[in-house]
Amino acid sequence: MLLDYDRLGWLKVVLLAFTAMVAAFLLLPVVFIVLLSFGSSRWLAFPPPGWTLKWYQELFADPSWIEAALTSARIATMTAILAVAIGLLASFALVRGTFRGREILRGLLLTPMVLPVVVFAIAIYAFFLRMGLGGTTLGFVIAHTVLALPFAIIPIATALEGFDKSIEDAAIVCGASPLQAKLRITLPSIRIGIFSAAIFSFLASWDEVVVAIFMASPTLQTLPVKIWGSLRSDLTPVIAAASSLLVALTLALMVVTALLRRKLQT
Amino acid sequence: MSVEAQQGIASKRIPAGLGGLLPALTLIGLFFVVPVLALLLRSVTDPAPGLQNYAALLGDGTYARVFFNTFLVAAVVTIVTVLVAFPVAWMLAIMPPALASVLFGIIILSMWTNLLTRTYAWMVLLQRTGVINRALMGAGIIDQPLPLINNLTGVTIGMVYIMLPFMILPLVGTLRAIDPMTLRAAALCGASPLAAFRRILLPLSLPGIAAGGLMVFVMSLGYFVTPALLGGTSNMMLAEMIAQMIQSLLNWGLGSAAAFILLVVTMALYALQIRLVGARRAAGGA
Repeated sequence: MLLDYDRLGWLKVVLLAFTAMVAAFLLLPVVFIVLLSFGSSRWLAFPPPGWTLKWYQELFADPSWIEAALTSARIATMTAILAVAIGLLASFALVRGTFRGREILRGLLLTPMVLPVVVFAIAIYAFFLRMGLGGTTLGFVIAHTVLALPFAIIPIATALEGFDKSIEDAAIVCGASPLQAKLRITLPSIRIGIFSAAIFSFLASWDEVVVAIFMASPTLQTLPVKIWGSLRSDLTPVIAAASSLLVALTLALMVVTALLRRKLQT
Repeated sequence: MSVEAQQGIASKRIPAGLGGLLPALTLIGLFFVVPVLALLLRSVTDPAPGLQNYAALLGDGTYARVFFNTFLVAAVVTIVTVLVAFPVAWMLAIMPPALASVLFGIIILSMWTNLLTRTYAWMVLLQRTGVINRALMGAGIIDQPLPLINNLTGVTIGMVYIMLPFMILPLVGTLRAIDPMTLRAAALCGASPLAAFRRILLPLSLPGIAAGGLMVFVMSLGYFVTPALLGGTSNMMLAEMIAQMIQSLLNWGLGSAAAFILLVVTMALYALQIRLVGARRAAGGA
C-alpha cells in the first residue's frame, strides 16, 4: 500500500516528518534573510539585538544599488520581449512545420539551457570584446536572449502542441485570413504558455550572474553583479535588505502567476 | 469556402514554416554557435597552434585535482539530492491536494528566489559565527565551531539546496504515473512493505531517478556561483577555474581548452540523458 496515502501507517509519519524537515530546509534561507535584513547587528548576529530599518535606508540612499536594479529591470524586460517574440515564431515553425530535421533544430535552439553558462559566458565575452559590444546594454540583451530563448520556446511549444489546430482552420474556413486566425484564435488560446514564457525569460535575465560578471563594466552593472561584488568584499546587511526585496518580488510574481493562471483558465 | 481559405489550409501542409525559425536560428547561430566555435579554435591556436593547452591541462597534477574535485562534488551532490528528494516526491505524489499545493509553493519560492540571495543566506548561516554553529554550541552538541563553509560541506549544502527542486518536480511526475494497484497487488500477495518498496516502487521509479539524477549531475559539473562562494580554495571546481584563467590570469588558450573539456563532458552526458528519456523530456525537465 505504498502509494496509498491513507494506508501507509507508521511509514506515513516518518515520511511526513522527513518531508516537513525538507520543507523547512527549503524555507530556511529565504525566511532567514528577511529577518536578518531587519536586524540591527552590522555583524549579522542572530537573533539580532534589536530591529531596524537602517539597512533599507542605506540601500535606498546608495544610487548605485538603485541604478543596478533599474539596469537589470531594463535588460530583463527587453530580453523577455525579444525571447517571447522570437520564441513564438520558432515554436510555430517547430510544432507546425513539416520540414526535415525539426528535432535537430529544436535541440540546437535548446542547447543554451544545457551548456554550462560559464562556457557560453567566456565565449560571448571574447566575441563581444572584438565586436565592441562588451559592457553595452545591447550586448547584455543579446547574450541574455540567447540564454532565455529555451525558456520561452518550451512553454509556448508545449501550449501549441496542446492546441487543436482544426479550430484555427475553422476560423479560416469561416473567412478569416490565416494571420487573423492566428492572432485572434490561436494566440489567445495559448496565452498561458506565452505568459509563462515571458515570466521565465524575464527571470532568466534578471537572475543571471555568470555572463553578467564577465560583461559588466564599471558604468553598466546589473543587480546580480552588484550583489556579487558586495558579497566578495563583505557580508554587509545591506545585501540582506536588497535580497529581501528580491524575495518580495518573487512572492509577488508567484501570486500574479497564480491569479492570472486562474483567470486565464476560466 | 473561398479560394484563399483553401490556400490558407493547404499552405500549412507544404514544408513551409521554416521562415519562422529564421530569427531564432540567426540569434543562436551568430551569438551562440559562432562564439563557442571561436572559443574552441582559440584553445588550439592561443598562444601558438597545437594541442599544448590540452597537454598542459591533462598532464598537470594541479589541474587533475580540479577535475577530480569537480566530479567528486557533482557526485556527492547528486547522491544526496536523490536521497533527500525521493521521500519528498513520494509524499508529494500521494498527499492530499491542499497539502501538496502548500509544499509546491515552498519549492517554487525557493527555486524562483534569486540565486545569489540563497547563496548569501547560506554564507551567513554556515559561517564560523553563524546561526548553525551557535545553535549547535548552545545546545552543547559541539564545543568548537564546525568548519561548514569554504569546504566540501558548504558546497554540498548550498548545491543540494539549489538542485532539490530539479529532482523533486520530475520525480513527482514519475511516481504519479505508477499505478497504485501494482502495490496493492503486492501487499495482497503478502509482500512486506520493504519488499514492495525494493521490488516494485523503486524499480518503477528508477527511470525518473536516473533521468533527474543525471540532470543534477550535469548541472552540478558546470556550476559556478555556489561553489565559488561556498567552496574552498583547496576544492576548486572546473567552472571556477575556467573563470579564473580568463578573468585573473588572462590565459585565454588554457581557459578555452578547459571550457571545451567541460563542454564535451556535459554534451556527452546530455546525449546519454536523451537516450534515457527522449529529447523532449530531457530538455523539458529543466
